[in-house]
Amino acid sequence: MATASQAATPPRSTMLGVRLREAGWGYGFVAVPIAVFGLFFVYPFGYALYISFFHWGILGKQAGGAGTFNYDKVVHDPVFHTALKNIAEYTLGVVPLTMALGLSLALVINQKIRGRNFFRSAFYFPSIASSVAITTIALYLFNANGLFNHIIGSKTPWFQNAPTVMWAIVGLNSWTSAGTAMLYYLAALQSIPTDVYEAAAVDNTGAWRTFWRITFPLLRPAHFFVLVIFGIGALKLFDQAFVVSNGLGGPNYSTYTPVLYIYREAFTTFDFGVAAAAGVLLFALIFVLTLAQRLTVGREEAA
Amino acid sequence: MRKRLGVILGLLIAVVLLAATAQAGTRTHKVTNVTLAGWSSGPDEDTLLNQVIAKFNATHPTIHATFQVINGDYPTAMTARFAAHNPPDVFYVDSSVIGAWVHQGVVEPLNSFVKASKFDTSAFFPKLLGAFESGKTIYGFPKDWSPLAMEINKGMLGQAGGKAPTSWAQLQSVAQTMKSKNVVSGGAPICLAPDWARMLAFVYQAGGSLNNLSSPAAEAAVNFYVGLIKKGLAQTPQQLGVDWCGTALGKGKSAIIFEGNWLLPFMKSTYPNVQYGIFPMIKDKTGGNLAFTVSYSMAKDTPNKQAAWTLLSWLVGKQGQTLWMSKGLALPSRKDVKAVGGRQNFLAAAPYAVGWGFGNPNFSTAYTVMNNDLTAVISGGKSVSSMLSDVASALKG
Repeated sequence: MATASQAATPPRSTMLGVRLREAGWGYGFVAVPIAVFGLFFVYPFGYALYISFFHWGILGKQAGGAGTFNYDKVVHDPVFHTALKNIAEYTLGVVPLTMALGLSLALVINQKIRGRNFFRSAFYFPSIASSVAITTIALYLFNANGLFNHIIGSKTPWFQNAPTVMWAIVGLNSWTSAGTAMLYYLAALQSIPTDVYEAAAVDNTGAWRTFWRITFPLLRPAHFFVLVIFGIGALKLFDQAFVVSNGLGGPNYSTYTPVLYIYREAFTTFDFGVAAAAGVLLFALIFVLTLAQRLTVGREEAA
Repeated sequence: MRKRLGVILGLLIAVVLLAATAQAGTRTHKVTNVTLAGWSSGPDEDTLLNQVIAKFNATHPTIHATFQVINGDYPTAMTARFAAHNPPDVFYVDSSVIGAWVHQGVVEPLNSFVKASKFDTSAFFPKLLGAFESGKTIYGFPKDWSPLAMEINKGMLGQAGGKAPTSWAQLQSVAQTMKSKNVVSGGAPICLAPDWARMLAFVYQAGGSLNNLSSPAAEAAVNFYVGLIKKGLAQTPQQLGVDWCGTALGKGKSAIIFEGNWLLPFMKSTYPNVQYGIFPMIKDKTGGNLAFTVSYSMAKDTPNKQAAWTLLSWLVGKQGQTLWMSKGLALPSRKDVKAVGGRQNFLAAAPYAVGWGFGNPNFSTAYTVMNNDLTAVISGGKSVSSMLSDVASALKG
């Protein structure tokens, strides 16, 4: 209350005083989110980093000193290698597919068509539905005697078959997340100034050429953003892999992902040191990949 | 309006105060609160367990026990409770994780309580109690259990000669007859899960064991099990398009399955019109079966050890277990408690069924290897011997 009344009086203090007071208010406002961020992100991350150098069980630190033995174990574990291979395949499949689907949907509903708002909500709906629920339903639709096989006349258990399961998850997740990608692309599409299209129209440029020469390049910031967001999301795949394999990463390790590896090391093997080390390595991997994307795709955007 | 509200509020407060003083008046002695945590298969089981606990509370005025249901990922939820040093006093432990939890130091050894209260451990089937022992140290008492048995669709068996198989050779020939007569159309004669929790029983039937997976017996058992699938006499639930073999039996997609006591309530509620018989588990050189069992164990971190022991020993004692068995959800782990009717072919396995978990601290980790490798063996991507050596080394940790 005192501060408020001071602020109401005409400024008698120097400019510096005003600045300081404004800065104080500013820091006051960000203090709460920063505290939450520190408590729930920075502190756990630092603690995980600490744990990763020890033998750590359910009840905490175990006998034996600090060392990089957990990292050695993860780096030399063939199961972790398989998990990295699986997630690489998955990411290379799901990210381009989601981007293509999202952009196509955005282009369609950016037209002045009837029922535009209905389509916007309909396409976005899978993104907000529970991933576990969607996966469970997909398991029924795509099982050996499921609706999908009935239509295409096959007997393949898509989600229980080592060669097909990761691609089935790619299909499922690009469908569910395309709605979110669509939203980002739609926002970007609407921020493209109309005069460039008018200029193209004056030059009598065809629709296809207009898209590839004008729209697609001007969407570059959106491409970068969607690539980074969905790339990070893809590398953290867990829910679908867990539901499909009952948490075992099967059949034949085909759905073992790095995050499932972390989960199993922590809650099945109770080796929290190894789990934390794997978590730190995954963080480093995502960090480096995102940095690389920023230096390539996001180059102009960053400038 | 406000005045009337005030009156009602005043009355309510008076009633609450009165009740509180009345309560305080009857409680002349200190009551220890004890929490019991476990999972539940559904409302039936909840109700039954709460009845058992109500009976305990009625007969033990100084202890008040409450049941906490932890559904979903039980080991994960319990890990969080252990790590926070705030575990439930008494809790369920599945035989497959007891080894790991004992190794982590979160389960209280019970020998001193057994000795002090002269608790009779000889009433338990030794193999079941053994699932929760490490050497001579007891870490829990089995609350109930179930082995595997062989369940066969009666109509389909009739078309294949009507005689249930008892040996591997007979199983194969009955399945062959069913296949050639197309008794099970749109499915397979046998349903076999790609799961060591079924296949390991066959390893024991061949005279093998989990501790000696490099034996020819183990390899022969895997070859027989996988061979049934490769010959088309059996299919996995995944190939049949069902979630587990129980559904395959219910939908008539398989005639013969190997499941436990948990099949009975499932069939009764989901496929009440399917006529099936329960037969003793198949044999080869010897009888071999797995005991899926769950213990009541005590937390090392509980401040109420004496009260927890009183609850635990009553629940696994004759009176507690008799009450618990009354609805036939499971089989008794005590010789002096009778199972409800129709369970004799399950109980026949009691002398030789080995506890699923074997007290091995690496068991649940090794289970990941077991089932991932088995799916690879079935699809032809891995040899039987390399699976067996993978599993053996995973068990060593």
